Amino acid sequence: MRQMTFAGGVHPPDQKQATAHKPIEDCPLPAEYVVPMAQHIGAPANPCVAVGDRVLKGQVIGEARGFVSVPVHAPTSGEVTAVEARPHPAGSSLPAVVIRADDEDRWQERPAVEDLAALEAEDIIDLIRRAGVVGLGGATFPAHVKLSPPPEKPIDTVILNGVECEPYLTADHRLMLEEADRLLEGVAVLQKIFASCRVVIGIEENKPDAIELLNQRCSGRDVEVVPLPVKYPQGAEKQLIKAITGREVPSGGLPMDIGVVVQNVGTTAAIADAVLRGTPLIERVCTVTGAAVREPKNLRIRIGMPVAHLVEACGGIDEDPGKIILGGPMMGIAQVDLAIPATRGTSGVLLLREQDLPLRQEGPCIRCARCVQGCPANLLPTTIAAYGRLDRMEEAEDYRALDCIECGCCSFSCPAAIPLVQTIRYAKAAIMARKRSG
Amino acid sequence: MTQLLLIMISAIFVNNFVLARFLGICPFMGVSKKVETALGMGMAVTFVMTVATVVTWFIQYFLLNPFGIEYLQTIAFILVIASLVQLVEMVIQKVSPVLYQSLGIFLPLITTNCAVLGLAVLNIQKDYTFLEGIVFAIGAALGFTLAMVLFAGLRERLDLCPVPASFRGTAIALVTAGLLSLAFMGFAGLVKG
Amino acid sequence: MLTAIFSLGGIGLVAAVALGLAAKRFAVEVDPRELAILEALPGANCGACGYPGCAGYAKALVAGEIDANQCPPGGAAAAAKVANILGVEVAIREPEVAVVLCQGDNETASNRYRYLGLTDCVAAQKLAGGPKVCPGGCLGLGTCARICPFDAIEMTPKGLAVISREKCTGCRKCISVCPRQVIRMAPLKTSVHVLCNSHDKGALVRKYCQVGCISCHICEKTVPEAYVIEQLLARVDYDNAGNAGAAVDKCPTHCIRDFVAGYPPGSSYPPAVVPVKSDAA
Repeated sequence: MRQMTFAGGVHPPDQKQATAHKPIEDCPLPAEYVVPMAQHIGAPANPCVAVGDRVLKGQVIGEARGFVSVPVHAPTSGEVTAVEARPHPAGSSLPAVVIRADDEDRWQERPAVEDLAALEAEDIIDLIRRAGVVGLGGATFPAHVKLSPPPEKPIDTVILNGVECEPYLTADHRLMLEEADRLLEGVAVLQKIFASCRVVIGIEENKPDAIELLNQRCSGRDVEVVPLPVKYPQGAEKQLIKAITGREVPSGGLPMDIGVVVQNVGTTAAIADAVLRGTPLIERVCTVTGAAVREPKNLRIRIGMPVAHLVEACGGIDEDPGKIILGGPMMGIAQVDLAIPATRGTSGVLLLREQDLPLRQEGPCIRCARCVQGCPANLLPTTIAAYGRLDRMEEAEDYRALDCIECGCCSFSCPAAIPLVQTIRYAKAAIMARKRSG
Repeated sequence: MTQLLLIMISAIFVNNFVLARFLGICPFMGVSKKVETALGMGMAVTFVMTVATVVTWFIQYFLLNPFGIEYLQTIAFILVIASLVQLVEMVIQKVSPVLYQSLGIFLPLITTNCAVLGLAVLNIQKDYTFLEGIVFAIGAALGFTLAMVLFAGLRERLDLCPVPASFRGTAIALVTAGLLSLAFMGFAGLVKG
Repeated sequence: MLTAIFSLGGIGLVAAVALGLAAKRFAVEVDPRELAILEALPGANCGACGYPGCAGYAKALVAGEIDANQCPPGGAAAAAKVANILGVEVAIREPEVAVVLCQGDNETASNRYRYLGLTDCVAAQKLAGGPKVCPGGCLGLGTCARICPFDAIEMTPKGLAVISREKCTGCRKCISVCPRQVIRMAPLKTSVHVLCNSHDKGALVRKYCQVGCISCHICEKTVPEAYVIEQLLARVDYDNAGNAGAAVDKCPTHCIRDFVAGYPPGSSYPPAVVPVKSDAA
């Protein structure tokens, strides 16, 4: 019998014990929200409000640009105090809309849909787009694009990603336990878009309670729950597809090329809100944790909330963090300080102490090939990085640098502490720049 | 037939001209930085070796031996080889300027390359017939090409390694060549002679 | 004896005829001027002229596509030789060298975060704009030093790039890779420079760098024709820099330096010598 897993991968320590059992808490509302226009893959939104405007919760404050883009909505009601560049988790200062909250937190009109069956697939996808739904697993890819494959690429399998393979993060776990209803409503919407397809929920075996609960709730519906062996990065799209269906996404291709669509469980729940309740995506679950945080929690946060505020809501800093990461420790982005806003992609805030960090000096490559063993994309990280360092980008491309999913398994396993992912990212950027300039 | 096969195998593997006889080290080191140039050089050498064998065989048995001027062997052979290399140079410059550029100075160096002269002289020493001589030449050239392509592959890999400063360049290349030579000693005894 | 002479002579003759015929059949046109020009060029293949290597430049020159003074490493000497070969006139360009407009090393300038990763300025710059607090200062990770084809750049032990005026040929490769745009060209005849690249207000600069320009205007007051303050940063006006040296001692943060007195601290280069006007680079 085929093993339900993928080649390569590593086993970082789980570190989920601090928050796995803690129910989701609503984060207290701050006085000011800084809402970036770039919260998704694709063209950033264009601000469509001006200083002094009053906005309602859920009102569009940034318009989508082009097909691979979504609108951005106000996370609360209040007054726009600035439309300017502000520090962004990506590292530079990017355009954002700053809103000073009034105390009303009033929604704008949210049209509900009573009868899902009456809607066409196109209408559903349009509702999803207008609600600004993006992948909440961390990639923030616009959901409506993923759900609109061209007719020559028929979909026969929809996979819901409840794997949450990153250490420390427990947001999706708690969502599956506490909001299974929303999740299953979302499944129904997806089943309406992709009629007669197989629906599978993939969950790693380190979440037995979620597996059991969903098994019960899904019996009788046309939904399978598949427990998967714990290995990072099982939650990466291509690896998840390989484990569950045995199919491989072709190099340079997309899951829709082999008839599969993958959506994060959080995204699926957001889809339910968007379609059935006319609710735009302004909220998500985020795990704030790490040894430097006093009380790690799973918070329900809104976009635009300052990260410093989230940390305050968790009892503040226990000791000065050596490292601040937005996302998970494997693929998250390190931050210089806490003066950045939360976005749709903020699945986690990690405050790690300096003594917990493996700070080592880089040494020479000893050809141990642990990076090759660990690579889930079947690449040769050491060779790609070596060519990248020598600025030989053509050879780096020949060794399939562009297929790298930047999961971090190579850097994690390297005994010489060589910055493999950074070098490969550098090479990828150089290759793409060369392609663009022709 | 078996005899011809044995001659071929012996020339390519067991008594490889570069790795066992240590002839032609100059182009071996100079042209083996990239696999494509190594292949190009190998093809040029193949042509020169084969044609040189044919011409020198005739010269030895129809000119030098009958007239008793065997002592002119070295100079006569060099004359022939030099002309052949000049011809190959002209053809390559016309047909593939890129290859011509990348081979650079090493193309005319085939002339003074001891491998080609060594081949011509060995042919006579071993008393090979015309056919045996040609097979020997092709085998020698194939062995030369094989050694160079293998070595080029190794050197491309070496480029990626942090070689200590005192070893960089020719030093580590020669060490690697020695190791490759050791590896080829594994073929010793496969074919007698 | 005679047989020997005739045999060798015969072989030689046959070979000569064969080669002569082949030479006609396989003739390739090569302009002899191209080869002569290639000889005259420095041969560093740095690409400053904009062509692929010295051979590309030589080809373009013979084709008449370009002026004969586009090779900075070759300088006036090579330009003159090339002009001679081509039989054209050429205007001599003023020799220029590259200067790193920063003196903030690990001791004098502060960092926002500790960077542990690829020792490359371009890579470090991608991480939230680089580890240095100063937005314009030298990151000191050596990308420029590695790319210089003439070995004219050294990294001081405390992480600052310094360019040797003697070795720099003005090929501009360092400028093309520096992610902070902190390297600029300056005429070789001027040895005084304001070594700062930050346009922040003086009070802010003071916080993150001990040797940054705080735009106090003292240099401008001392030698008005030689200094220009633009967007809170002083710079030497290289066209009128004759007296610029007078302001070096007056600068309160010591960010103005005369390379004749010495290179920035930590550098191993001996003090510069300003060339006499008639010399070429």
